[in-house]
Amino acid sequence: MAELTYNEKRLMVVLNTIKEATPDIIAGELNTTAAAVVQFAHLCADKGIATLDRTVTVSYSLSTEGEQYATLGLPERQVYASFQNEISMKDMQAHPLARIAIGWMKKKGWVIIEKGLVKKTGDAPEGADEVALRDPDANREGVLELVKRGLAEEAETTTYLIAITETGKALVKAGLDLREEVGTLTREQILSGDWKDLNLRRYSVDKLPKRIIPGKIHPYQRLINEMRNVLLEMGFIEMYGDVVQSSFWNFDALFQPQDHPAREMQDTFYLDSTTPLPENWEAVRDIHEHGGTTSSVGWGGIWDPAKAKTNVLRTHTTGLSIQYLKDHPYEPVKAFCIGRVYRREAIDPTHTPEFEQLEGIVMDKDVSFRHLMGFLKEFYGRMGFENVRFRPAYFPYTEPSVEPEVFVDGLGWVELGGAGIFREEVTDPWGVKYPVLAWGLGVSRVAMLKMGLRDLRQLYRSDVDWIRDTPMMQGGKD
Amino acid sequence: MPIIKLPYEYLETLTGTDRETIIDRVPMIGADIERIEEDHIDVEFFPDRPDLFSTEGVARAMQGFLGLKSGINEYPITPSGISFRVDPGLAEIRPFLGSAVIRNVSLNEEAIESLMGLQEALHWAVGRGRGKVAIGVHDLDTVTPPFYYQAAPRDRAFVPLDFAEEMTMEEILEHHPKGVNFAHLVRDYERFPLITDAEDNVLSFPPIINGERTKVTTETKNILLDCTGTDMKAVMTAVNNICTALADAGATIESVEVDGTPMPSLSPSIRMVSVDECRRLLGIPLTAEEMVAHLRTMRFGAVADGEEKVRVTVPCYRSDIMHDWDIFEDVAISYGFENFDAALPESFTTGKPHPVMVMMDGVREILAGLGFLEMMPFTLTNVRVLYTAMQREINPGLLRLQRPISEEQTVMRTDILPMLVETLQINHHRELPQRLFAIGDCVEGEDTFQKVATVSIHTEADFSEIYACADALMREMHIAYEIEESADPAFIPGRRADIIVDGKKTGVFGELNPDVIRAFELDAPVCAMEIDLRCVQGRPCL
Repeated sequence: MAELTYNEKRLMVVLNTIKEATPDIIAGELNTTAAAVVQFAHLCADKGIATLDRTVTVSYSLSTEGEQYATLGLPERQVYASFQNEISMKDMQAHPLARIAIGWMKKKGWVIIEKGLVKKTGDAPEGADEVALRDPDANREGVLELVKRGLAEEAETTTYLIAITETGKALVKAGLDLREEVGTLTREQILSGDWKDLNLRRYSVDKLPKRIIPGKIHPYQRLINEMRNVLLEMGFIEMYGDVVQSSFWNFDALFQPQDHPAREMQDTFYLDSTTPLPENWEAVRDIHEHGGTTSSVGWGGIWDPAKAKTNVLRTHTTGLSIQYLKDHPYEPVKAFCIGRVYRREAIDPTHTPEFEQLEGIVMDKDVSFRHLMGFLKEFYGRMGFENVRFRPAYFPYTEPSVEPEVFVDGLGWVELGGAGIFREEVTDPWGVKYPVLAWGLGVSRVAMLKMGLRDLRQLYRSDVDWIRDTPMMQGGKD
Repeated sequence: MPIIKLPYEYLETLTGTDRETIIDRVPMIGADIERIEEDHIDVEFFPDRPDLFSTEGVARAMQGFLGLKSGINEYPITPSGISFRVDPGLAEIRPFLGSAVIRNVSLNEEAIESLMGLQEALHWAVGRGRGKVAIGVHDLDTVTPPFYYQAAPRDRAFVPLDFAEEMTMEEILEHHPKGVNFAHLVRDYERFPLITDAEDNVLSFPPIINGERTKVTTETKNILLDCTGTDMKAVMTAVNNICTALADAGATIESVEVDGTPMPSLSPSIRMVSVDECRRLLGIPLTAEEMVAHLRTMRFGAVADGEEKVRVTVPCYRSDIMHDWDIFEDVAISYGFENFDAALPESFTTGKPHPVMVMMDGVREILAGLGFLEMMPFTLTNVRVLYTAMQREINPGLLRLQRPISEEQTVMRTDILPMLVETLQINHHRELPQRLFAIGDCVEGEDTFQKVATVSIHTEADFSEIYACADALMREMHIAYEIEESADPAFIPGRRADIIVDGKKTGVFGELNPDVIRAFELDAPVCAMEIDLRCVQGRPCL
């Protein structure tokens, strides 16, 4: 048998003396509440050392309205008494209780109604309900009728009777340790060594206390930080930049023609403001119009500076990369950023108008397309994607371009990001002498793969319980 | 991106190999297979490669890639004797015209479908939705040269394609499905573009619709091509792509004189490229002869000029070749991406996180330590959430989107706290207490800066709780601050305070006004704070 608590023991000692009693009586003995005694008794009953009998009694009392009628009589009795053998309906309706009474008088057979006259049948004995009205406990049938009419109320009273069993008696006879239980140790008890003699309350060790939720960094932010750490470990410097960018940096500097579909209003969030063109903007104009000093022929046509000044919410972070290269034109450069970008897309499970993009660039003497593949393999490998393959691709500002695919169990080859070498048309205006390897990827896509998300909105409009339940580590076996 | 339908039988006839080989290899020339069907595959090609928008063009590329044929195709041209006149009145409307005569076509249903698919893809990728270029193909034998491209009165009538009755051009814009779709391209001009023949028969109303008279059918033997537009280079890209596709299917091309200038030429352009530059860009060992072989595989003409130069003949349909590196990419594709020896360079560099990110990571650590859960709400929001529900005045630096995508997201946030209270609303059915924080970018005017906000909702959330948190955060950030009574209407008077750093208001905390709590459909006390992180010393300028 499980150990008894101090309170259970006290209850047993009292029961052993008085054998059986109500909780009220025992509560007096134990100097506690009746409710607490019932709780102790429950636990003792579970252990078979006491019994707890529960009796529910129903009692009735008159409602406020019922109390009124108790002295004056039911409405039908009052109205019945108010006329002789017959009365016209019209006259009877002058009585304030007529509306209630008429139905009941008919139902009870006290009157009949003929041609607008209410006639007594001569037979109106006292009913069970009227008996109950005098004393609600006197007539059960009658009182139920009154309950229906809202004239009486039913109340349940639960009473308990607690008794000791033979097992209980034997237990008490064998002797109980009645030293008071201690919950929390005091400084004195620890210092003096007294704690050894205390009756320390024992816990049910398998009973989980109320769950604690630690403060946490968002699972998506943790993934972003993991990616940042991979790149920092690989020797990259982190970039950060403004959300509002001029079309010049967001598009023109990346050799996106001014009539490119991606620049159209339905894809980009345009703003009312403009930004002056930076120094050396003419080099970008020349590149667009005829290829400038490179082997490019350019897009042809006339490049419009006004279009380039228009501000947008950045549609990618590549505009930051080219500005970083402008400020750091000498090799080696290894830089990255993870930032929020904006596209004019309606919200659904796989699209949000804002999302995080990762971007990395490497500029160095003698770097080449094969090194781009090397960086992609290394980065994806460190992110846990061991198998990477490459496919031809097209992006307006890289040449050659490549689309990395990673192998994911259960999904097969999954396209993950895009990469390439910045076109010379992109780098030449800023005095960059060597190839710039560049790659980018949608971070939310990695989140979907790594966290098994089906709905991107979960990242930005998170369910608190999802964050509470997402562990911070992957400590267990897969 | 354009999705091209490739019928197996036609593709097999043109390429000279079986469908399995094609399906297996086509992704490696730069394409995504969208669907594999019983009689065809749908393939998505990149928008810079209009030469792959037809079955004929894909067959030409696959022949090279599979080693069945190499080098550049010749496209001989003879004069047709047919001429075209362009009305100077079109100068402000749609000035440019490209044309060609394509003889001896043998068009089965699949070839016609391929031609129509090519036109549609060109309209999208090169024509920018027909504005920049629109294409018309006509049965030459139904009309009489010479032809006239003119600015015609809007009430000129003809029978448009797939209709039985004459309509005026104005009526076409109102009633013909193509007219309705593309009316915006011409609606504002006094006169409309029109192509007529010597007998004043209408061939086309560019860029809207052709006439029914010149409809191309399986009976058609000879084609007149018209491409009109606002950019001559793009117009000729369309002409070259259609002519070369049909020539590869067996037709012969004849030139047309447009205002005295014969076109098209279909002649290739020449680029002298450096083998060493290619080697260095791709990082692969390569001789001039190997490079020549790769380029011929990709259907360029190429001959070595000594050991370090290659003379490349670029087919007229390769409008994507703008720069020498565009040619090097084709060398890489022929070399095979799978054959590259991926490697990391040896330069030593050190990594360094950005100070703003370091600062935000620090704040995250402090707040997580204080028991808050991080949220990452959207930065786009609306005036109702940002100001109205918070009972606050609109920030004069508020950045509004010109054309929002929904009523929910019309402005860029200037504060984070309202988004966090909205997050509580989303989670109103979840167990309390909820203690949340969010940190990140806000924008005022054009400037991006960072804020952090926290909220705590539960039955006993009060001023003291949030004061203690604000104090802990400020202490841990090691920023000295003072407190003043606040007037922020989002909070309850007497239970709100401003955080002052260097004499400047930099944050606020307190108990949210119950009207604000109700505006977000919450029903428990909320204490909250928000701090502008521009107060952090050493925060770098962006």
